[in-house]
Amino acid sequence: MKKENSSSGRNLLSIYRIKYILSKRWVKIATVYLMTLFILLFINFILPRLLPGDVIIAMYSGQELLITDELYNELIVLHGLDKPLIEQFYTYITQLAHGDLGYSYVHRASTIDLIMKALPWTLLLVLSSFILSSIAGIILGVESSWRRGGRFDRLLLMFLLFIDGIPSLALGIMFLSVFSLYCGWFPTAGAITPYSDETGITYIIDVLWHLILPLSALTLSQLPGDYLLIRSSMLLTIREPFVLTARAKGIKERRIKYLHTARNAILPFFTRIGIRVVYVITGVLFIETIFAYPGLGLLTYEAISNRDLPLMQGIFTISVILVLLVNIIVDLSYKKIDPRIEYA
Amino acid sequence: MNLKKMIITSMIICLCLFTQIISGESTTDSDVENELRIADKAGDWGYPNPYLGYARGPGYMRMHFIFDTLVWKNETTQYIPLLAENWEYLSEEDAYVFHLNKDAKWHDMKPLTAEDIVFTIQYMKEHPYGWIVLDSVDRGEALDEHTVKIHMNGPYAPFMEDIGGTMPILPEHIWKDVENPMDFTDETAFIGSGPYTYVDFSKEHGTYQYRSFDEYYLGKPIIDQLIYVKTGDPQMSLQRNEVDFASIKPDFIEPMKEKGFIVIKGPHYWNKKLMINHNIEPLDNITFRQALAYAINQSEFVDKSLRGHGKPASYGLISSECEWISPNVPDYPYDLDKAMELITSLGYELKDGFFMKNGETLELQILVSMISTGGEATPDRDGEIIKNQLEKAGIKVDLTSLDTKIVDTKVINWDFELAISGHGAIGGDPKILYEKTIQVSGTKPSPNCARYNKSEELNELLDGVIHEMDPQKRKEIVFEAQNVYARELPAISLYYPTWYNAYDPDAGVEWFYTIGGVAKGIPIPQNKLALLGTTVAKGGGEITDSTSIPVENETESSPLIPCISVIALLLAFFVIRIKRS
Repeated sequence: MKKENSSSGRNLLSIYRIKYILSKRWVKIATVYLMTLFILLFINFILPRLLPGDVIIAMYSGQELLITDELYNELIVLHGLDKPLIEQFYTYITQLAHGDLGYSYVHRASTIDLIMKALPWTLLLVLSSFILSSIAGIILGVESSWRRGGRFDRLLLMFLLFIDGIPSLALGIMFLSVFSLYCGWFPTAGAITPYSDETGITYIIDVLWHLILPLSALTLSQLPGDYLLIRSSMLLTIREPFVLTARAKGIKERRIKYLHTARNAILPFFTRIGIRVVYVITGVLFIETIFAYPGLGLLTYEAISNRDLPLMQGIFTISVILVLLVNIIVDLSYKKIDPRIEYA
Repeated sequence: MNLKKMIITSMIICLCLFTQIISGESTTDSDVENELRIADKAGDWGYPNPYLGYARGPGYMRMHFIFDTLVWKNETTQYIPLLAENWEYLSEEDAYVFHLNKDAKWHDMKPLTAEDIVFTIQYMKEHPYGWIVLDSVDRGEALDEHTVKIHMNGPYAPFMEDIGGTMPILPEHIWKDVENPMDFTDETAFIGSGPYTYVDFSKEHGTYQYRSFDEYYLGKPIIDQLIYVKTGDPQMSLQRNEVDFASIKPDFIEPMKEKGFIVIKGPHYWNKKLMINHNIEPLDNITFRQALAYAINQSEFVDKSLRGHGKPASYGLISSECEWISPNVPDYPYDLDKAMELITSLGYELKDGFFMKNGETLELQILVSMISTGGEATPDRDGEIIKNQLEKAGIKVDLTSLDTKIVDTKVINWDFELAISGHGAIGGDPKILYEKTIQVSGTKPSPNCARYNKSEELNELLDGVIHEMDPQKRKEIVFEAQNVYARELPAISLYYPTWYNAYDPDAGVEWFYTIGGVAKGIPIPQNKLALLGTTVAKGGGEITDSTSIPVENETESSPLIPCISVIALLLAFFVIRIKRS
């Protein structure tokens, strides 16, 4: 009897312990993210397989390759398509756990190698564009809202709404035609001048020189979104009593604008960062294709065009992980940005 | 300047110096006498080696600078000597004898011998090479150091183009130990006997670098360094003088000429065609297919879809610019009345503008997609044109636009009625007539092959196209095969687009289109002979020698260094701001 009591007490204790652990905020976050990751990985795995048509024929039909029955069967085995779907998914997850994203038979290279070579270029483009458009968006948004209804506000709003209506693809082509072909200021394609003798500082200048046009096009396509969000958020915050109090206290206007009002208005902007990463990844696809910039966007375009199953899966997996990582960072930094979250 | 600022400034200077040091390892190529840059939109066509290059025209072109074949083609002549100085066909033995050039050597300076040819045949039989099928070849035999005899399994007429002019010869001393050629990426995998040696290939940037081979047996190439660069718009890169050669859009011919570029017009070796599912009614009827041909106005495609930059196609599949074109291929000039008369003869009645039979309207589905032409996807403008033309002839059309791969799969599975497709190689050996009409046994169907086995007469003729060794007799068979093909219409050829390329004459190379296309009919005007100077390219002797200094491999480029620098500068800026506040 005593023994039974003690064992049921231990069970109760462990249930409470689990409940206690699950009630912790970080465990909740981790569980949600892990489940999201698993679901997304499954979608990643299943979507390319749902595309209509024979995968092998689709992958190799454009090539001067006489696909004999033996070769066809070999390719089926090579891509693991002879196994049941559940087994293919298990293999995919196990390989992924070992950092193996498969082998691209179109590019004839390891998928992870291809992605890792393209990723730094995309990060350079995306991060620079992200920093620039965020800084410009915040400053312009704050200044515009502060002068609401004025000439500066109206002109800026009109201009950025106009820019917002132009797709990044068209912006890229316009930039290329004007600044590269007509003015001849920038190179037409690539991330570096191939096989040139630049080293050290000249090499850095060469990379930056190639970066300017795609970066400007991407930044300009992202800027209106940031600006509009900050502006509308600022317009709501300006009416708050604490702004009036700050003014009454005689604090300098610049401090009220940026340290008091903007800091409170910036939260929706940070929420948007997580969502924006996805748009930047898709936006960069067009920019990289136009400027032949050797990043992840161009690789994605090629993978989809060639129906390169392992590469498509690999890129989408990396994108999913990147997006989730950014969202985790945003989630965790809320408290720092706005301490009120802690007590909400 | 205060202490903090001094520290930060020193940090930035140190970083700059550090990047100078780590990036300064690469050697420069400024000592190369002359270089030539070619623009390409796709960039990556695989490593320039027979097994690692992509099995597409541009992939073969990247490889052909490094690896030579037995024979070659130039602008005007088919089958000129390359590794083989001369050759003969022994009809009684069904064998070819090739006498090799005694000066030929590999890039590692070892001599090229008959044993290398024997080895290549054996190796490619064991490890199939996508571009050729060696079923027709029995074996190779080295008669002496520079003479090789290739024994055939039977008569095989396309041998010279299919194998002699396409099979890259591999060095035995390197490849004999290679078990899996797909994994062989060692530096020696790029040792060939061609006019250029391999220096670098960047998959990431889609660039290739080659250096001239000084000891090339036909003379040193006139260009020391050849570079392929990836660019979003090749024409724009050429206009900006970033490259010396690029493909151009037809609308820009005159502006390019005005700027001093030489524009070359391509031969018509690629055709767009209408695939027909000849297994279903009413498309299984020859008369109905002929009615379709009469209802289609080929010139309208050329005028509207190509804006005049093309040519109506011959109904016999072989290009009208090829030496194999039959002089009397049946023609179907645009004639609506004739088309409607033929359809009426099949029991159809015209009602409200459309033909009907047994209470059902005559309706056909046409699948269209963005077909890749010359490695580049082009938007389809033909669907709407053909829909209008057929509807004028009383055939209701359901136009369906799909992804190219899906259209391919539907065609392969016979899950279609009509589909717009296309392919090249119609200017080379007439073997293409066989390949695009009959499905080669034991192989998966190609999406642009008609797979038409219903005509005994055509089957026999196509068999003759492959096996008739007498050139005159073969020509007659090829003519007759085209006539029957055009009469039975297993597929309807629509038109040939015209492609244009432009180059800077100051670069010193006179580019040309190869007769019948490079190797098995690749319509790309980058024949390696152009880089050996005009005399060799036109079939003459050796060119004069010049000197060049070797180029070393560059270290791999990465955005890491600029990235670190930008981040460091931003960090420094923020540190100053934070400290101030």
